[in-house]
Amino acid sequence: MPDPANQPLPSGYVLNGYRIEKPLSSGGFSIVYLARDEKDTPFAIKEYLPNALPLRKEGTEVVVDEANQALFRHGLKCFFEEGRALAMINHPNVVRVENFFRANETCYMVMQYVRGRTLQFHIQRHRHEFNENFIRRLFAHLMNGLREVHTRKLLHLDIKPANIFIAMEGRPVLLDFGAARITLSEESMKLKTMYTAGFAAPEQYHSEHGELGPWSDIYSVGATMYTCIAGTPPQAGDAREEKDRIIPLKTLARGDYSQSLYDIVDSCLAIDHLKRPQTAFELQKILLEEVSPEEKEKGKKSIFDTINQPLSKLFQR
Amino acid sequence: MRFSIFQDSRQGDRKGNEDRVGYTYSRDVLLMTLADGMGGHADGEIAAEIAINEITRRFQQEARNKLRKPSEFLVSAIQSAHRAIVSHAVAHNMLECPRTTIVACIVQHGNAYWAHAGDSRLYVLRGGSLAASTQDHSRVQMMIDAGEITAEMAARHPERNKIFSCLGGVVPPQISTSKEFQLQLGDTIVLSTDGFWAQMPANFLGSMVAKQALVQVMPGLLTEAHRRARGESDNLSVVAMTWEAQDDGRIGDTQSMDEEFVSSSNTTQQAGAPGSVEEDVTEEDIERAITEIQDAIRKVPR
Repeated sequence: MPDPANQPLPSGYVLNGYRIEKPLSSGGFSIVYLARDEKDTPFAIKEYLPNALPLRKEGTEVVVDEANQALFRHGLKCFFEEGRALAMINHPNVVRVENFFRANETCYMVMQYVRGRTLQFHIQRHRHEFNENFIRRLFAHLMNGLREVHTRKLLHLDIKPANIFIAMEGRPVLLDFGAARITLSEESMKLKTMYTAGFAAPEQYHSEHGELGPWSDIYSVGATMYTCIAGTPPQAGDAREEKDRIIPLKTLARGDYSQSLYDIVDSCLAIDHLKRPQTAFELQKILLEEVSPEEKEKGKKSIFDTINQPLSKLFQR
Repeated sequence: MRFSIFQDSRQGDRKGNEDRVGYTYSRDVLLMTLADGMGGHADGEIAAEIAINEITRRFQQEARNKLRKPSEFLVSAIQSAHRAIVSHAVAHNMLECPRTTIVACIVQHGNAYWAHAGDSRLYVLRGGSLAASTQDHSRVQMMIDAGEITAEMAARHPERNKIFSCLGGVVPPQISTSKEFQLQLGDTIVLSTDGFWAQMPANFLGSMVAKQALVQVMPGLLTEAHRRARGESDNLSVVAMTWEAQDDGRIGDTQSMDEEFVSSSNTTQQAGAPGSVEEDVTEEDIERAITEIQDAIRKVPR
């Protein structure tokens, strides 16, 4: 965890009935804590606290000076957008919001605490285990969540391994919808540098956001799949627009993957957004339809029928 | 069914023993299992223990007289062991799921069937040499297969411990199964963890078990394997059987039993556990937003 510019809440601090245990992560706009309610149920609580602003040097109250007030309030609005977005969605592949409240002169979003690790952790530790079947099923399953997000007319815009959680039973959960709203806004540059190099679509770097759409999230999904196979993200989208030096996935892969999987990742990473799969559903379909030859041999009917089953069941042979 | 069997698990030079071994048999069918709980992962021995117990439990449930489809049984039992490990981790709020390798072998009607995930091995030794073996699910085995390195280089390779299939992992196990393997009199099947096989070339092992009975030769071989690791020995575990005859008129090991299982393992638990922004944001805006979000949370069924 990078050293936060702002003091995190101390462990043991009781916040609106939730006892803070420890900070889990800190990002550009927030700190996420592990906390428990009276029944000892764990939650992940996200505290709105933009890193760029000096807000809490001591104690627990957030103090915003006059100069930063507008910026702070603007970011807060973005935080509300994230809260609204997540509150509307109840889907196993999207992190669930349980509560939302104001305290300490800032706001807090209480989310379901998912046991497991981020995909980033697994890429670092277990990438050698990622076979083709796993990658296809994981992302096909994740597309269920992304479809739900897009159905709500929302874009995630910061899909990357660190924002995908793998619950212990194997279910992927999409986290952190903070970036979406912020990148869509026209407000201050100070709060805008939210993309993650390598994962953001080229169009996300442009000042005009008219080209943003589900295909932008698809690009990030492609970059995430690329990272699962290569261990490293592709060349950043803005740099690729100038001179595309993306290293072909095939030359980086250490495992045995089919050409059709490389082709799927390549299509998601197309610089021209019209050449990508246009929807999460379309990507899901090609991930599931173009199955490996050995599976075809087994004469399975359509595994597409089973996409709504728990991931653990999908993996059974 | 007549056979002699041997099993042992030793700590080597490690702080604990995360290996588990076990066998169980009835009159007509034998199961041998071996699991190497993975070091560096939370509670590897728990995963190994659950794996042995779960596969044994399934076997005792389904193998009354014999198994109709032994290979399918093995795959299904190993998958349920994987699920049991994950369920255990979830039920016990473990931060990470413990992991283990697995190798399991069934003998019935003079035929052997085996399945594995990871780098614990099975050898079939016949007349002093290797007649069949498992192929490790390891990075180095892939490199050997691709012709990138030799077996000798693999033994010293820094990534020799990296395996791509195991139970308890985020990626469900890739399970390899054997074809039906017809046993001949005197064949010996050895299941072992890398603490043992890494120090004991298969041909040497084959020549040793060809000369003497398992119970006489194996303890010495385990000690030798431990010694060869020069103070850095991993846990060493073996379960092995020598096939003596399908039907034997004399009193056999298993003759007196009728649908009862004899079991032995080094496990301790019981089986079965298993937008756009222009205007300033005002106080009212904030309060309204919070109210809206709280309403939305209440409205969406959870």
